[in-house]
Amino acid sequence: MARTATAPGAPTTKLGKAALEVDDRMIVAPWLRRTMNKVYPDHWSFLLGEIALYSFLILLLSGTYLTFFFDASMREVVYEGSYAPLRGVEMSAAYDSALNLSFDVRGGLFMRQLHHWAALLFVASIVVHLLRIFFTGAFRRPRETNWLLGVVMLVLALLMGVTGYTLPDDLLSGTGLRIISAILLSIPVIGTWAHFAVFNGDFVGEQIIGRFYIAHVLIIPAILLALIALHLLILVKQKHTQFPGAGRTEHNVVGNRLFPTFAAKATGLIFVVFGVCAALGGLVQINPIWLWGPYNPAQVSAASQPDWYIGFLDGSTRIFPPWDIELPGDYNIPALFWPTVVVAGLMFTVLALYPMIERRMTGDTASHHLLQRPRDVPVRTALGAMGLTFYVWLMVAGGNDVIADKFDISLNAMTWVGRIGVIILPPIAYALTYRICLGLQQHDREVLEHGIETGVIRRLPSGEFIEVHQPLGPVDEHGHGQLAYGGAPVPKRMNHVGGARRAVRGFFSPVEEPTQVEIEQRAEGRGLATGESSRELTTSGRPSEGGRPSEGGRPQEPRD
Amino acid sequence: MSTTNPQSEATTPEATTPEATTPEATTPEGPARRARARRRSKHRRRLANVAGLMTALVLTGALYSVFAPAQAADDTTESAAEAAGRELYERSCITCHGENLEGVPNRGPSLIGVGEAAVYFQVHTGRMPLVRQEAQAPDKPAVFSDEEIDQLMAYVQANGGGPTLPSGDLRDGDLAEGGELFRLNCASCHNFVGEGGALSSGKHAPSLDDSTDLEIYTALLSGPENMPVFGDNQLTPDEKRSIINYVQTVNTQADPGGAGIGRIGPVGEGLVIWVVGIGALLFGIFWMGSKA
Amino acid sequence: MSARDTRPGSTGGADVPGPLYGGPDDDYTPEQLAAMSPLELDRLGARYDGVEILHVDPGPEPGSVMEQRAIRQVGLIWGLAGLFAFLFVLVYVGSGWFLPDWQWSITEGGWSALFTPLLGLFMGLSLTLVGVGLVLFTKKLLPHETAVQDKHDGSHFDRVTAGATLVGSYHNSGLGRRKLITRSLALMGGGVGLMLIMPLGGLIKSPNKGNPLGTTAWGEGVRLVRNDGTPIRPGDQEPGSLETVFPAVPGGNRQADAATMLIRLRPAQVENLQTREGQGDFAYGEYVAYSKICTHAGCPVSLYEQETSRILCPCHQSQFDVTQGAKPVFGPAARALPQLPLDVDDEGFFVARSDYIEAVGPTYWNRERI
Repeated sequence: MARTATAPGAPTTKLGKAALEVDDRMIVAPWLRRTMNKVYPDHWSFLLGEIALYSFLILLLSGTYLTFFFDASMREVVYEGSYAPLRGVEMSAAYDSALNLSFDVRGGLFMRQLHHWAALLFVASIVVHLLRIFFTGAFRRPRETNWLLGVVMLVLALLMGVTGYTLPDDLLSGTGLRIISAILLSIPVIGTWAHFAVFNGDFVGEQIIGRFYIAHVLIIPAILLALIALHLLILVKQKHTQFPGAGRTEHNVVGNRLFPTFAAKATGLIFVVFGVCAALGGLVQINPIWLWGPYNPAQVSAASQPDWYIGFLDGSTRIFPPWDIELPGDYNIPALFWPTVVVAGLMFTVLALYPMIERRMTGDTASHHLLQRPRDVPVRTALGAMGLTFYVWLMVAGGNDVIADKFDISLNAMTWVGRIGVIILPPIAYALTYRICLGLQQHDREVLEHGIETGVIRRLPSGEFIEVHQPLGPVDEHGHGQLAYGGAPVPKRMNHVGGARRAVRGFFSPVEEPTQVEIEQRAEGRGLATGESSRELTTSGRPSEGGRPSEGGRPQEPRD
Repeated sequence: MSTTNPQSEATTPEATTPEATTPEATTPEGPARRARARRRSKHRRRLANVAGLMTALVLTGALYSVFAPAQAADDTTESAAEAAGRELYERSCITCHGENLEGVPNRGPSLIGVGEAAVYFQVHTGRMPLVRQEAQAPDKPAVFSDEEIDQLMAYVQANGGGPTLPSGDLRDGDLAEGGELFRLNCASCHNFVGEGGALSSGKHAPSLDDSTDLEIYTALLSGPENMPVFGDNQLTPDEKRSIINYVQTVNTQADPGGAGIGRIGPVGEGLVIWVVGIGALLFGIFWMGSKA
Repeated sequence: MSARDTRPGSTGGADVPGPLYGGPDDDYTPEQLAAMSPLELDRLGARYDGVEILHVDPGPEPGSVMEQRAIRQVGLIWGLAGLFAFLFVLVYVGSGWFLPDWQWSITEGGWSALFTPLLGLFMGLSLTLVGVGLVLFTKKLLPHETAVQDKHDGSHFDRVTAGATLVGSYHNSGLGRRKLITRSLALMGGGVGLMLIMPLGGLIKSPNKGNPLGTTAWGEGVRLVRNDGTPIRPGDQEPGSLETVFPAVPGGNRQADAATMLIRLRPAQVENLQTREGQGDFAYGEYVAYSKICTHAGCPVSLYEQETSRILCPCHQSQFDVTQGAKPVFGPAARALPQLPLDVDDEGFFVARSDYIEAVGPTYWNRERI
């Protein structure tokens, strides 16, 4: 086999020989080359999903550490650890071990907090990633499957969060568990059966922490891991989407090869995400269970809230009217059923089916690999803004007692604000977003047609004052630009086209540098007059000299 | 852990003097109990039976014999403190609480039976005198000096009766038991560690962060405004002390896990992850994606 | 070939090397490849993967000021990352050794309250700087290339041939014709599937056996006791007070549905007291007792406002009026808090006259049927 080993140019170094030995056995070279040569588009928003991936990695690592110390049992014990205000208090073994982890394991509290912050970040980054996919239309054919997988993973992430939040068995999580129990009970017909199946009897029983534990550390993570693998596999197979721009088509990907540029940046991002979680984990206290106390069904605290990602359900529950539905035969559907099971079910179903809904509505069944700017699809963008407003408003309602307390507003008024707002705000958001999108579109077209405003005012021989416009491309006999809108950002300031001043490196994007002329003028304390003649300018409505497009007049690639 | 409320301690010397000048009190036990209270006797709580009262009377007599000759005599039925208190009352409180403490309908409740504990809490936390009628009296800097508060207390106690101030170390209780009692009785309104919370229609349970031991104790005893009353037969003085010990300990203890972000739980945490966590990472990836 | 076939250990098959996988080895001889520079080889490989390098911005000139500056920057950042990592180790290992003890204790602030923040600070800084250094290295010291890779649509040839294989197998299996096989397969599949999920039946428990949801530990003559087990006399509470009480049964104070609020009303409240129909005698003098478990989602309601007679639930802000039989007056709860009928026993302690006459806690489908 070792044809390469004897061929000219065979590796002579030890490392090279070792690599050859590996490839002789595994034949990884073709796969490795293909992988390293894979091109990834370079845009910041494509890294959002990676944040979610890396926070999941952190969750796996820190979570494994936590299992070394956590005892998922509801056995009653008496606390004898080092946190004095709870010494001698009866509590479950789960809470006891979580306290010991926090106070008697070196660095245990840090790891617990790191885990919890990473969990909050995990869900938050999934949501941001989802918004990016939604507003740019990246879910369209052929990527509906990956969208669906993403929504399923979001739901699983929420379940992860809920089960994990419950595990320490403190007073806050116990209150949450009580509400979970009530939600299960509220399901018509099968509610009580479902409750008894999950809790092994009436609330609270002795099983639930153990069951949630195995769901939290094994069942859900395993499914999540498999789905993440599938999600990435499909992504690699289908290749990345990209924003429209110079040289970018439906049939190519323009960007960096995986190795080394993209790999280095992605590895850098892993460390940054890890660093942010670690910094939060040490510097900002999260879920101080020792302050909450052990769970006791007779105790509760003001402002008992779930973690932020369940906040929208808490909010919908708070503002829902008291509508128990009595059915014939003394059956009833509890009011709690609607804002929890139904609202959550509807929201995630609509979300999951959105690609199909849009396809049905627009009749667009073509494959798309180029993304859309949100302004170019005003209906979708407005729908998204509407849904987002609904969601955020529910989340705000979920914290209405804290808002009422901190800002000295009546709690009952906050409830009514929540009720009214949830009905009127989403349509307002829709209308507003739709208008803004149209306005932005119009402005793009206007710049393409008339050119960029230069801010230079000229007086015509007739005495009329006009502003000089810089066309972006060839113009017709009326001086109107002939460039069509291509879905890419249209430069709107002279420095975007390099026409005004030389660009220098800025932190995020190029910053304009004063021209040599301007520096001289400043030094001489004179106006702009002398520098003006050196620039090529045209006026709107008049052909430029010779009709020649100025340098840099074509739309640039989007500024990634 | 310090012992008691320093402000109350500071009032002790001035308060004792005018009060003890009374040659004949309306009720013999009244001044005696107050005198003992001011002296922060460790035994006061345990003298709740007749024998204790008898001892108290004897002690009172002894006190009179010591102090009476040294001080100016006053022939009215009211001590100097009570008289000063009456004057203050008639100037600042009478509009709402009426003459003779009987209250004014729709304006202020009767103060008969509320005792000096209620006066101490309401005036010391600045809730009274009220500026205007609203859902709930807000706490603000106290209008009256400690001496004036003592005079008001003396007046209301003498004319209305009711719960009196405790004495001794108000944190002399079991920490863990206090925690359990706090979570069972107090946390529902005041939050896990006394950060306060919203109640219906604009009312709220205040934060206990800046409350003194005596304020907490008198609030428990008198049940100000919408707060339920926790009489001594419901929560014994020992249990009250345990609760105060817990509240003050937890309030002052450092947060082992970094910044406490208000100790209000998930709302603050959610804000931090979105503003700081997602904010920092968005900044990071924006920088990564920018052209070099 | 023939000589090798009979070699010991060989099974007789041909033992010549097969064609190499993964590249056009016939197009490029090893000699040709050896003659190419690494850059050319890289581009050649890229071309085979459908990648074209459009444009390369070379990195900084070796030895240039720009390069020196970038190297210093990246070096400094990675150096700091290492330093912070060592500081983390120092704090982690050194606390309780040459640094003050890390174990947090209630009476002291100082080091023990700094331990976790320091760990977070150093690890956070260290890891963030590793990442920042890596990105800076990429941005400032590596050449920037713009590459373009072709996307391939599905191949008609692949579809047709793969389809033919599938269809051919199906045809050969004769499943279309052999109906018995198909039917037995369906039966088998259904049966085996069902069999495999059957053990989950162990999770099912009847919620209707003995009415566990509709009953509590309260009952006739069961004393009302505090959390510490002491019984309560009618004189123990002041007007305008609330006490959480439990049934005097073993473990009564840990039961999820038994917690009850014993409220002594103020005289003004007693005057306005309205009870629910048929529950007029449930109160005892100024005392009323309601379940502490919210009828909405089961949180303990106990934010009692004695002046407005309201009880607020901290979870979803349902409000109940204690002077109107604890009926809901605001928020999402639809059902009044169940009332416990009170009495006093021979020794003068509060007892329940019976269990709650309706289900306590969150509403469910067949609550009113039991």
